[in-house]
Amino acid sequence: MPVPSHNPGDDIVQGLVADEQRHDLGADEASLYFTAVEGGPEIDREKLKKKGLGVGAWLSIIWLGLLIVTALLQPLLVSSGLVPDPSRVELPKISGSGEALVVAKPPSLEHPFGLSTSGNDVFSLVLEGSRRSLLIGFVSVFFGLLVGGFLGVVGGYFKGKTGGFIGSILDILLAFPALVLALFVVQVLGRTVFNVTLALAIVSAPVLARIARASTLSWSEREFVLAARSQGAKHRRVIWREVLPNTLPAMFSIALLGVAVVIVAEAGLAIIGAGVNPSLTTWGNIIFRGQPELKEAPHIVLAPSLVIFFTVLALNYLGDVVRARSDVRESAI
Amino acid sequence: MRMILLKLVRLVVVLLVVSFLSFWFTKLIGGNNDLVAKMIPFSSEQEKERVREQIGLNDPFFTQYFDWLGNFATGDLGELYTGSGENVDSVPVSEVIAKRLPVSLLLMLYAQLLALMIAIPLGVYSAYKATSRFDRAANITMFGLLALPPFVVALVLAIWVGAKWQLLPTQSNLPEFPLNPIDNWRYLLMPTISLALAQIAIYMRLLRSDMIATLQEDFITTAKAKGISARRILFRHALRPSSLTLLTVAGLNVGALIGGAVVVERIFKVPGIGGELAESIVRNQIIETQSLVVLIAIFYVTFNFFVDILYSVLDPRIRHARAIA
Repeated sequence: MPVPSHNPGDDIVQGLVADEQRHDLGADEASLYFTAVEGGPEIDREKLKKKGLGVGAWLSIIWLGLLIVTALLQPLLVSSGLVPDPSRVELPKISGSGEALVVAKPPSLEHPFGLSTSGNDVFSLVLEGSRRSLLIGFVSVFFGLLVGGFLGVVGGYFKGKTGGFIGSILDILLAFPALVLALFVVQVLGRTVFNVTLALAIVSAPVLARIARASTLSWSEREFVLAARSQGAKHRRVIWREVLPNTLPAMFSIALLGVAVVIVAEAGLAIIGAGVNPSLTTWGNIIFRGQPELKEAPHIVLAPSLVIFFTVLALNYLGDVVRARSDVRESAI
Repeated sequence: MRMILLKLVRLVVVLLVVSFLSFWFTKLIGGNNDLVAKMIPFSSEQEKERVREQIGLNDPFFTQYFDWLGNFATGDLGELYTGSGENVDSVPVSEVIAKRLPVSLLLMLYAQLLALMIAIPLGVYSAYKATSRFDRAANITMFGLLALPPFVVALVLAIWVGAKWQLLPTQSNLPEFPLNPIDNWRYLLMPTISLALAQIAIYMRLLRSDMIATLQEDFITTAKAKGISARRILFRHALRPSSLTLLTVAGLNVGALIGGAVVVERIFKVPGIGGELAESIVRNQIIETQSLVVLIAIFYVTFNFFVDILYSVLDPRIRHARAIA
């Protein structure tokens, strides 16, 4: 029998399933995160210690760094003329025959992602879209992590009535499939960037809470927590000093996966017609606008799709690396 | 048995709260006037007032809620409004759902079956040959598949298989959608693949890691010592105890599947519930949206309830542990 290689995702999945059995939480949307957690690449811990991060992690960091930097500098890049203005429309030269002209153009040297149906440079559209899409992704997961992390840690630490109460709140939020809840919230509140961010934060909070809870449950039963308690440390101190530092790495790695999920959700909402107002450019909205021309100008929808794919890939990979590295300490005990 | 009863009570409470919150949320933000003005924006004030009265928007809040809940329980899910000006027409939402629900259920069933049919043999073989070249290649492929959102697969399929090569129709908004697999596979094949790809990766990875653990158990060694063939050991002895987590996750994943189905149905214009939900949003039919959201939540929670029970039936150890606890 060959020696099985350890998959870092298994701990969390097994932990969640055990949590499910112990506490009868019922329906949950942790599946969203299972999705990202489970397919982790085989990361060899010994190798990690010796060789640093590894090629995949560096590629992911470079890709994400490039995205974030260009997104931040986008106004500067446009005003300096390095990148065409996304709102500038390039019309084809009118030929004498008077036939209907197709404005959209496939990728060329001048326009690496081609031209959109209305004659905008798709590359600079994607760049502009990355500002809003990344903002929505990071901000909503940040707030989801704050609220969800708090609920999860408190609910996992105080197992009695408090835990039960928090569990019920999560149960109710998790009764809706994530995307359905998000689109309902956006539909009722209105299609602004703020509301989409809010909706996705509401959706990610209970999922992150579940992870935090599962992690807290396992850590708060450890001897050193008991030792701290028996020395008379107050609950707040135990949570803050003993439990939280140990649960943070797992939560951080899940949050990275969460950003990926939220970026995909933003695009999904936009395609349905329930995302940010289509007049504002986001990755999802570029796809939404390009859909009618799927056959004539597939590059319009493919460009943002490809960017989303690589971003999700990078975030998933980094999430796994973070978890694998944070586990090192655990396995050394 | 007591466990199941307790869970059932919990299920009902969750559903009641969910229904109340959905109702309250729509009312709170949508407001009485806004709601109708959004649904039939081009009608006269008189017409709007008539619709308001019809929906019962002029009643006190709790009267409205209990009316709505009562109607919902008896199958009256409100109306969706079409037409404009004085020619406001309405169709019962329940009629629309009755027509579209089977299509969505079929699509999700196909996707789930396809994913499991591919994932189970792959997962078993990967576990059997863990760390082999095949295992590594499968691993990397699955990691890539995980990062592939259903809508990207759907768009790629629609562009090449649908538009360029014209092998399959990209639009499936037929007047009568066939429920017979022989007739509808052409319309549902691309949506099914779009939904199934990411699930394959999840299921395969899960089964692989559970299977690796099972293959180290003593009873497997015994079976090998008895000279039973590898295939028989893998599929007869090891698969069942390894498939419990897979089953739970397959159940939980229905939520992600529903979300994916909404987007994919929209892209391929599949006349299912997800497509209708998207339509209701585009057409500002808030009452319809609300009914569909609550209905989907009910379906999802109830489904998970049954998965949960099935789980404890299949694994006697859990039943036992719960009885003690």
